[in-house]
Amino acid sequence: MRALSGLCILCLCLPPLSAQWLKYPTAGIPRNADGTPNLSAPAPKTADGKPDFAGLWRQANGVKYTVNLAADLKDGAPLLPAAATEYKRRQDTLSKDDPVGHCNLPGVPQVNAVPYPYKILQNAGQVTILYEAVRTFREIFIDGRPFPPSMNPSWIGYSVGHWDGDVLVVETRGQNDLSWIDSGGHPHTEQLVVTERFHRINLGTIELETTIDDPGAYSKPWTVRYNLTLMPDTELIEYVCTENNKDVEHLVGK
Amino acid sequence: MVMKLASLRSAQVVLLIAALAMPLVAQWKNLPMNGPKKADGSLDLAGPAPKTADGKPDFSGIWEQADLKYFRNLAVDMKPEEVPMRPEAKSILQARTNGALGNQEPDANCLPQGVPKINGAPVPFKIVQTPNLVMFVYEAFNLWRQVHMDSRELVDDPNPTWLGWSKGHWDGEALVIETRGFNGKAWLDTAGHPASDALHVTERLRRPSFGRIEMQITIDDPKMYTRSWTANEVLKLVTDTDLYEFVCLENERDLKHMNK
Repeated sequence: MRALSGLCILCLCLPPLSAQWLKYPTAGIPRNADGTPNLSAPAPKTADGKPDFAGLWRQANGVKYTVNLAADLKDGAPLLPAAATEYKRRQDTLSKDDPVGHCNLPGVPQVNAVPYPYKILQNAGQVTILYEAVRTFREIFIDGRPFPPSMNPSWIGYSVGHWDGDVLVVETRGQNDLSWIDSGGHPHTEQLVVTERFHRINLGTIELETTIDDPGAYSKPWTVRYNLTLMPDTELIEYVCTENNKDVEHLVGK
Repeated sequence: MVMKLASLRSAQVVLLIAALAMPLVAQWKNLPMNGPKKADGSLDLAGPAPKTADGKPDFSGIWEQADLKYFRNLAVDMKPEEVPMRPEAKSILQARTNGALGNQEPDANCLPQGVPKINGAPVPFKIVQTPNLVMFVYEAFNLWRQVHMDSRELVDDPNPTWLGWSKGHWDGEALVIETRGFNGKAWLDTAGHPASDALHVTERLRRPSFGRIEMQITIDDPKMYTRSWTANEVLKLVTDTDLYEFVCLENERDLKHMNK
């Protein structure tokens, strides 16, 4: 069942990767003697001494976490009864209602786990992520602002970050309850708080730890760890979900 | 003809603006804005424009169109006969003029507004500037654009796209952005000035003061126009707020009311 929904996502998600600057070399990264990027070189720092996450990244596990963010949890995600019922409904209907399949926005954390690259840009007060998938973006404010007392629910939520040593800790709140945690259909409510810990351990790797805390859908917070790998010497390409979308008619469930 | 066109299409424009101009409700409060200050502590928008650490003009900030007329008609400052349209461009514009094709406008169908129309949309956008990459983050349609500031060149036959492939360079204090590789489907404005896949857009940005960007947009499209032509837009800094989420497709009810 999960394999099928994973397949669905793959059909939706994999246009041919023909970039205009497909082989344009990334400037300023350490290289080996043969010219290939030295992905195990130390992670770079910004001018103010912070770890620099800038670059083009993708998650390194195919669609494993795209389809099931809780794939590594022995007993699965700690679903509350209502959430378990909804999850079963989505699984039983082969994820036909996945909002991303219908060209709506993926929320956080689903947007990080899609099988597409994304670019991280880092300025002093803000980290911006450009996602190839659905051509969306996220702003993470690291200027010390607090969350507002009331947030209009949105697909991508409101994100603020701070430094914990070399780790960028990002907290996201204010998401609507329409997005799914993954394409398999793990649900969430508007109470969802997502904490992402980004740790760039070397030039080529970010360790990403994602914690889902949603007392409306889960009995306790749960955490997932996967890596992002650098994609040097290439670029993002254009993704337009709404153009000539022929997939929705085939998402019929069973 | 273009003036007449504007009035003929005004109903449609109103619809479109209704569709696009969502209330600007920012979620963040009490945002500190850095910049030149007046004696009373408020921002001095007439003060000097900032520079980046490497001495370049800094365009960072949230911006919006000072005048929506360019969104409706990019050639609004020209006499109709001055717009150097080829016959095929005239017939496309004429077909769009009576409003019957409004439901074919890409953004009415939640497809991306191309360049330069997206700059003119009645919602703000953010410019994020780093030495090798300048990024436009558009509230309209939740889109982004990358402007590469390194020495790369575009291939001769780029994959056609809605927003093109952009590279930029400095000409003194001006940021000059060249964009090519379009798919020929976007409209230049809601009036319907057409563009082909041969479109080449040059955006020339200057920031003469803290609160103002002058953006000169040159349209070069030999399949549609006999020579290049230029519009001079002004962007205003939007202070003490931030971008808002824009999802065109969610519960979209406008298209069925457009025309016909």
